[in-house]
Amino acid sequence: MAATTSIETPQKILLTTSDNVELKVDRDVAERSILIKNLLEDLGGEGTEAIPIPNVNEAVMKKVLEWCEQHRKDAPATQDDDSDSRKKSTDIDEWDQKFMQVDQEMLFEIILAANYLDIKALLDVGCKTVANMIKGKSPDEIRKTFNIQNDFTPEEEDQIRRENEWAEDR
Amino acid sequence: MVKRAYDEGGPSGRAPKVPRHESVDRLSQLSDELLLRILSFVPTSTLGLCQRLSHKFRRIAGDSQLWKAVYYNRFVRPRASRLPGIKDPSMSSNHLFYSSKLSKWLDDEHLVRRGQETNWKRQYKLRHNWSQGKCAVREISVTEKPPVPPLIVSMHEGIVYTVDSIAGLRAWSSKKDRKLIASVELETQTNGSPTSLAVDTQELSMNRHRLVVGFEDGHFSVYELQVHTGCFLELYHHPQSSNGMLSAVAYASPYLVTMTEGQLLSLYKFPEAKKDDLVQDLLDPPQLLHSLRSHTVSPPLSLTIRPASGSIIASIAYSVPTYLSGWSVGIQEMRLTSDGELIESRLASAANDDFHSLARSGPFSSLSTRPSSPNLVPAQGSSFGSRDAHAKPTSLSYSHPYLLVSHPDNTLTLYLVTSTSSSLSIGPGSRLWGHTSSVSGAHVGGRGKAVSVSNHGDELRVWELEGGMASSATRRKLVTGELSVRLRPENGVSSQNLDAISDAILQRGFGLGLALEHKMESMSVTRGWVGFDDENVIVLREKSQGSQALVVYDFT
Repeated sequence: MAATTSIETPQKILLTTSDNVELKVDRDVAERSILIKNLLEDLGGEGTEAIPIPNVNEAVMKKVLEWCEQHRKDAPATQDDDSDSRKKSTDIDEWDQKFMQVDQEMLFEIILAANYLDIKALLDVGCKTVANMIKGKSPDEIRKTFNIQNDFTPEEEDQIRRENEWAEDR
Repeated sequence: MVKRAYDEGGPSGRAPKVPRHESVDRLSQLSDELLLRILSFVPTSTLGLCQRLSHKFRRIAGDSQLWKAVYYNRFVRPRASRLPGIKDPSMSSNHLFYSSKLSKWLDDEHLVRRGQETNWKRQYKLRHNWSQGKCAVREISVTEKPPVPPLIVSMHEGIVYTVDSIAGLRAWSSKKDRKLIASVELETQTNGSPTSLAVDTQELSMNRHRLVVGFEDGHFSVYELQVHTGCFLELYHHPQSSNGMLSAVAYASPYLVTMTEGQLLSLYKFPEAKKDDLVQDLLDPPQLLHSLRSHTVSPPLSLTIRPASGSIIASIAYSVPTYLSGWSVGIQEMRLTSDGELIESRLASAANDDFHSLARSGPFSSLSTRPSSPNLVPAQGSSFGSRDAHAKPTSLSYSHPYLLVSHPDNTLTLYLVTSTSSSLSIGPGSRLWGHTSSVSGAHVGGRGKAVSVSNHGDELRVWELEGGMASSATRRKLVTGELSVRLRPENGVSSQNLDAISDAILQRGFGLGLALEHKMESMSVTRGWVGFDDENVIVLREKSQGSQALVVYDFT
């Protein structure tokens, strides 16, 4: 009978965000995060007490959990940092692309949260999204996109341009 | 327990307070680790652009680990699949950081050994330029009038050595400044002219290189170049001999091999240096270990000596005349214990189906001979192999296991030599096409990179011959003409269209642009010497007025 109960009602856990909001989520969704998974394993037992996530606020956490929900059926993430499933290409699947259509503030918040919560696949989606924003732009355009301060003197900039010319003609 | 698990989760790298207005540079606020992760997804060409953004990006986009990854992706991984023992497909997938153990397999040991010091971006650029045949051309003028006998050149670890009867022994840096490091006059009045030159392949120290010069009168001298003080020291002067001119020498401390004009091969060993005596001023006289005479060895030949596990292998690769197919090549190897005792001597030759050597017995009297099996396939494209008898090779270069022979008929032949403790054989030859005029010189390095130069000196080709012709990828490249790349020297002005028609490339091939084209054109006779190291290709050229210059093709 124990087996049937677990199918009927997936185990729920509680997370407390940095702004003190309690979120109730399915355990398997939350376990996309290696950090939460390890915490739950270390706690053992029922996991009835709320888990504090002091670095992520409610809005970002909800967004992250939305991604985890969508990807709950994916193969479980491995702890291996450079798992072979990590594709080199910057291809992002359609749902993830839509999911990442957020303002820059949220985009970087998601990256930071994914890094903190140790969700490799989400971190890669975020990094690829930023990489795609860099690709095919001139340095000036990249600076404008991200508000990067050009702290070079014109002479320095010219010298670095010449140093890297060889890599551009491919 | 909870506390511990938190620590393992790692720091978020997140700034505690994020300002809430829109002109914030959130990207630069990310930790270096996250920025590296982002940049690992951008193409190589974009990395260069990112370095131009700001000081922070210059540092991160130039990160050696990032470039190491692109270096492995482009240059090492494709090779890994070709090496036996690394067939596991998961190995060739996306591992960002290769273990040094695997790197050793791939013969990049010298790069990995330097560890942190290795500038992977610089290495990437170097390989990139080699693969594109892209280089800068500079010139070192060595003589005003041609010496007799001709100038001899050798290159080792970024230093070019030249020796001739007029200016003596000289060392030049092949690096950016191309300056004369040291020179010493030779007493040619009493000793005759220098006729051969070899650099010690056993590295003693970074700043001291030994070399041996063979002379017309049969004597040889060992010199040491002290790079920091810029002088040559004569460490040893061997008495002259009645056996005649030394046509080739090879040196791997403490062993030295000489070959005379009369094809007498002598193997010497210098006594062990005393400990604590690193700054040796003189070498004690060497002991003559073996002496062998040949009747069939013909030049061009290549003399090498290399240490193997528990033994020393001295080998001579030579061209050999045959009855029906003209010229072929052979190798004799002498294996010795480290005490200089001869374990065995054996030989092998490459042959076509209709191979009949003029001398079926070995070229040298030897203890045991094991001729290679004659069931060899003719050179690639059998119609070529049987149709024309091979003319005498113009040059021969052997760097185990590669044996590269250049022919006057615009082609080269590559053989793979197999040397195990029980057998020695030369694989079937593969013809390499690509040159449009007679190939006058070729040089092959240990990793299968080769450089060849054609007779008129205006065509230089770089070949990637690793693994020989066994791999289908290499064969396919040969067919499509991608196996070699013709050098495209840059002339200061960046070339706009890289796919310019061959005419334009030919123009650029002269290296110094249109203004100097005429001058360079008169420099058409090549002496056929060509050499290279990791960063440069050097060709000895003779101008029509008779003066000679070393042309340096710089890939950095």
